[in-house]
Amino acid sequence: MITTVFTLLGRRLLAAVPILLIVSALLFCALRVLPVDPAAMSLPPTATIAEVEAKRREMGLDRPLPQQYLIWLKDAVHGDFGTSIVFRRQAGSLVAETLPATIELAGLAMAIATVLGIGGGLLLFYLRGRIFELVADMGSILLLSIPEFLWGLILLFLFGVVLQLLPFTGRLSPGLSQPHITGFLLLDALLARRFDIFWSAGQHLILPAAALGLAFSPAIMRVLRSSLFDVYQEDYIEQARLRGVSERRILLGHAFKNAALPTMTLAGVQFGFLFSGTLLVEVIYSYPGMGNLMVDAVRNADLPLIQTVGLTYCVVVLLINTAVDSLYVLLNPKLRVR
Amino acid sequence: MREAVSRSLRSPRVLVALGLILGIAGCAVFAPLLAPHDPGEQNLVSILLPPAWASGGDPAFPLGTDSLGRCVASRLIHGARTAMTVAVLASLGAMLIGSILAHVSGYFGGAVDWIIGRAVDIWMSFPPVILSLILMFGLGVGLDRVILAIILVDWTRFCRVLRAEVLVVTRRDYVAAARLLGFSHWRTITREVLPATLPLLITLVSLEMAIAVVVEAILSFVGFGVRADQPAWGQMIADARQYVYQSPSNLLLPIFAIFLTVAAFNLLGDGLRRTLDVRLTEIGR
Repeated sequence: MITTVFTLLGRRLLAAVPILLIVSALLFCALRVLPVDPAAMSLPPTATIAEVEAKRREMGLDRPLPQQYLIWLKDAVHGDFGTSIVFRRQAGSLVAETLPATIELAGLAMAIATVLGIGGGLLLFYLRGRIFELVADMGSILLLSIPEFLWGLILLFLFGVVLQLLPFTGRLSPGLSQPHITGFLLLDALLARRFDIFWSAGQHLILPAAALGLAFSPAIMRVLRSSLFDVYQEDYIEQARLRGVSERRILLGHAFKNAALPTMTLAGVQFGFLFSGTLLVEVIYSYPGMGNLMVDAVRNADLPLIQTVGLTYCVVVLLINTAVDSLYVLLNPKLRVR
Repeated sequence: MREAVSRSLRSPRVLVALGLILGIAGCAVFAPLLAPHDPGEQNLVSILLPPAWASGGDPAFPLGTDSLGRCVASRLIHGARTAMTVAVLASLGAMLIGSILAHVSGYFGGAVDWIIGRAVDIWMSFPPVILSLILMFGLGVGLDRVILAIILVDWTRFCRVLRAEVLVVTRRDYVAAARLLGFSHWRTITREVLPATLPLLITLVSLEMAIAVVVEAILSFVGFGVRADQPAWGQMIADARQYVYQSPSNLLLPIFAIFLTVAAFNLLGDGLRRTLDVRLTEIGR
């Protein structure tokens, strides 16, 4: 069982490599044809034209584009993604510092979205009936119309400004410093046995994660509900009913298992979108993750950083989709037989 | 088709949505007539005023003023103009590119289909938020650039969903019959295939309008949207976010405007999907 998981995952990952190469080449070319000169930008404004030319040669910008890309690719494979112009540090290490924060946010958000989506979907289906169905249907369309960016602002306003229950900037309260072990703040706080830090980090994380979770749960809710309707058309539901199985058990034990598969596929696709959705929520809550790094990079026209962060987003989303694909094949007995 | 349209117009969802959209579109079209002030006019003596009904409000500014003393009501109304322009032009542009490629791809199949399919795959492996940020970085700010960026990001939604439908329709007997009668490819696609895919296309356009409104708001909020002198809901939110304690209504009003517009387009899309009998499994966001 374990080996099938790994061969499957390995095969899918291998298939993702060419896509990754094309994506990185496209990103590279798109950023190079822009009328922005990274050489001139990384020098002080007093630099002479000769100095800029020398810098261009040093950065390899005078060579043909395909050659530039190959040089970049060679460096990237060795872990060197270039130096950020603004921060004057390795772009790769800047990403490595912010990525755990974003993963932590996306992970908690996905958990919230799944719990709300499954709970809501089951509840909607359980309460099905003419009037209620119409209300629920309208409600879910209205909920679908609130993107993560508006949820972020609404929650910030409600819990941060009006009720003043939760903090809404940064990752930790001032005065506390992050213990550096893995970069995942919640985990590090537990490892360092600093429960005050854990509590503060949790408080800072809950609003942005809830905003993302709330935005992505209605889609899961709707798919689960409609798959449950499909499953209830099957004969085995009626048969279970004739055998005297309780309605609750039919729903949770028989129907839910079969409706879970299409729901999971959608949830997986949503997770990819959710991961890139962290960008806005991070901006709203000044959360020090990769999203704020990206926005900083774009504001300052920091080409190496834009390229590295942009590529990291693509890689993570590609990895998520690959993992979801493999999991889907694994959980679906119909696809397992070859 | 006529029957389908009259069926749609009897659906309460479609009617409510159309009413809302017409109202917002009315604000957009007649913005200069409806707005009490010029949206860019600054009154530095009266900044961050509350709405007129609250204590300290000024009847000259019905919904108060922002941090530069600009009239919030006027900016909301003119913001509707920005949002609706983007919604209409961006979704039509994305629809045009996406549906042409989808019809070519699904109808002809073979190598063309393979190339377009791979292009869509690669395009979609860029997360939409990241792709639109990078595009705005390359294109620079401005209303036309926002529209172009949304078209360049979202044509794939139309292409992927419509292609599957074209594939099904092309296999039908009446399409083969049209070819046997000597119809050209162009005529077969426009006369036989397109009418069958039109309901899905219309539904997708209305859902795309909702997406375009959100994307425009997001880009303006982050500061890569329309130019700074053009009122947009996203910009209003970014400004109000900094003065949220002094003037909460400035934050809530544009949020509500975005929500209302997006909900109207989503409701329209949902109503059309039901009445035009469109099978739409891939919602996506």
